[in-house]
Amino acid sequence: MKPLALNLALALLALALFLASLAVGPAELGVSESVRGLFAGGGEAAAIIMREIRLPRALLGLSIGFTLGMAGAVLQGFLRNPLAEPGIIGVSAMAAFGAVAVFYSGLAGSALYALPAGALTGALAAVLLLMALAARNGSTLTLILAGVALSSLAGALTALVLNLSPNPFASYEIIFWLLGSLKDRSIAHVWLALPLMAAGWLLIALSARAIDALSLGEEAAASLGIHMARTRFLIVAGVALGVGAATAVAGTIGFVGLVVPHLIRPLTTRMPSRLLLPAGLGGAALLLAADVAVRLVLPAGELNVGVLTALIGAPFFLWLVVRARREVF
Amino acid sequence: MSEKAAPSRFPSPLRGGWTAAKGGRTGGVLSAVLNAYLPRLRRTLRSGASLWLLRSHLPLKGGDRASVLPAALLTLATLTAPAGAQPPARVMSLNVCTDQLAMALAAPGQLVSVSFLAREPDLSPLHREAERYPVNRGMAEDVFLARPDLVVTGTYTLHNTTQLLKRLGFRVEEFSFVQTLDTIPRDIRRMGKLLGREEEAEAMAAEFEAGLAEVEASQCGPRPTALAYEQNGVALGKGTLADSVLTAAGFKNLATEEGVEGMAPFPLELVVEKKPDIVIVPGSKGDAPSLGAFVPRHPALRALPATRIGAFVPRGSWSCGGPAVLEAVKALNALRQEIASCEASP
Repeated sequence: MKPLALNLALALLALALFLASLAVGPAELGVSESVRGLFAGGGEAAAIIMREIRLPRALLGLSIGFTLGMAGAVLQGFLRNPLAEPGIIGVSAMAAFGAVAVFYSGLAGSALYALPAGALTGALAAVLLLMALAARNGSTLTLILAGVALSSLAGALTALVLNLSPNPFASYEIIFWLLGSLKDRSIAHVWLALPLMAAGWLLIALSARAIDALSLGEEAAASLGIHMARTRFLIVAGVALGVGAATAVAGTIGFVGLVVPHLIRPLTTRMPSRLLLPAGLGGAALLLAADVAVRLVLPAGELNVGVLTALIGAPFFLWLVVRARREVF
Repeated sequence: MSEKAAPSRFPSPLRGGWTAAKGGRTGGVLSAVLNAYLPRLRRTLRSGASLWLLRSHLPLKGGDRASVLPAALLTLATLTAPAGAQPPARVMSLNVCTDQLAMALAAPGQLVSVSFLAREPDLSPLHREAERYPVNRGMAEDVFLARPDLVVTGTYTLHNTTQLLKRLGFRVEEFSFVQTLDTIPRDIRRMGKLLGREEEAEAMAAEFEAGLAEVEASQCGPRPTALAYEQNGVALGKGTLADSVLTAAGFKNLATEEGVEGMAPFPLELVVEKKPDIVIVPGSKGDAPSLGAFVPRHPALRALPATRIGAFVPRGSWSCGGPAVLEAVKALNALRQEIASCEASP
């Protein structure tokens, strides 16, 4: 498929699902009522529901899905590892731990900005650690095992911090941090996370040429004039910013970055850089679809979207492992 | 592992207790007793590691050393005996709601300890009084060490502990977790009877009933709608204490109208759609942070032009069914008069 046609098709799909996300919710609003509520404003219930509840949710679904899809694509390209994904290699889990450690300790009162501050730190630590590991030993297996260890550790530390919180409700929030959700977010969350995620997209996009060259191997890339340290910085910072901000407001949403690049890669020229934008758009579409589905399956909205992405993604992961056993190891 | 091999593998606190007590001559008797009780002991042990600790604290009385174990069992047996006419001298409360009644009614020195939650201002109206009592963590160990004559607790919380304590022979009285305004005078009288403080309880219950009747008599006209909206967007619906308080204070509970039974998630969108006249949200902001606290503070609620949002009830006053609930009824009734005054309505 031509890159332009692919991007256009995926963008249209994401847009359609964005609109579907705006249309779904416990309050049964008609189409004209929703549209009027969204654009006309005023004190009407429809306007408040559309602008304060559904729009933030749809925007977060779109941008977080885009971030996760793009981060998955760039990590798979850069690490030349088909199983790399922010969730699997432990970046999301560390981001969640960072957010939990800063927020629940009450260091910043109960201010919302404590969440991304902690999450970015956690994500950055995870990416740096994994990059250092990958630089020394490039095997697919090492990275995945390190990710498993990191995820378990971060999960345990998250549970520990939540249990230590004097607030009796805090320990129930472990489920949100392990399997994220977009429920009841507000526009404040969008303003908090979207700029950081956008910065992450930009940094990842700047690394596009380098990851293409890297697909020929590091020495070949160096001979093509690729500055390795710069590339590594762009990807570390880009993934940490994007995944950190996404996790800070939505918890850990796994497998989006794993599934989408694999589904879309056959439709591209297989150049890693050509995958970045379609993977982002596809990730947005997948997360929006999952978020619409959880609201339709349980109208009270209690099922976390992270549960659904894991239900889709984990069997896919298993299938990849089985296939990769033949091809990679 | 075989039954006979078992004693040597018991953890040291237990074994230490027995070996320290046994003399050379009595060793045979002891091991015979031990083996006889072993199957049951092991069954019990399986039910919880905490028992190791408990048994190791069995009182070891002096005198005839051979009678140590029977004496210990006897102590257990005396604990099972009903208290009889004598009011219990040592009472322990394990639940924040029974804490309220016990602190309000117990004679000086009668209440040995209250639950640690009794000092939480958000949960316990009598949190200042609770400072005067030692606190327990509601664990079986706490109870065993304090050896009270009576344990009062709730049916819902710490259910395993209750079963364990009953099996160990403690007298445990449970108060129902389901509380409404109707159950409060009954619970006050029951607590009074248990503590041997019937007169005080009767006076308190009567005062409560009179206060409630006064508020209910002042109701009139249309009822504004209200919603008790807790952390994480959980609403208090039919059958809850909050529901009966709202009704008594002259409100319609939106959650009950929408078919919520007990505590259940109530979508934010529905709150906005139904536009209740008041939304009662958790009060304290000084709490340790949690994400759930952001839901009742969501900007969508604040955007509702005609809805009043606030804590409205005195801190902690309606978290438990006790005399303090009357304060919540009165506060909400005053608010209701402000919103829809009786004089104004025909």
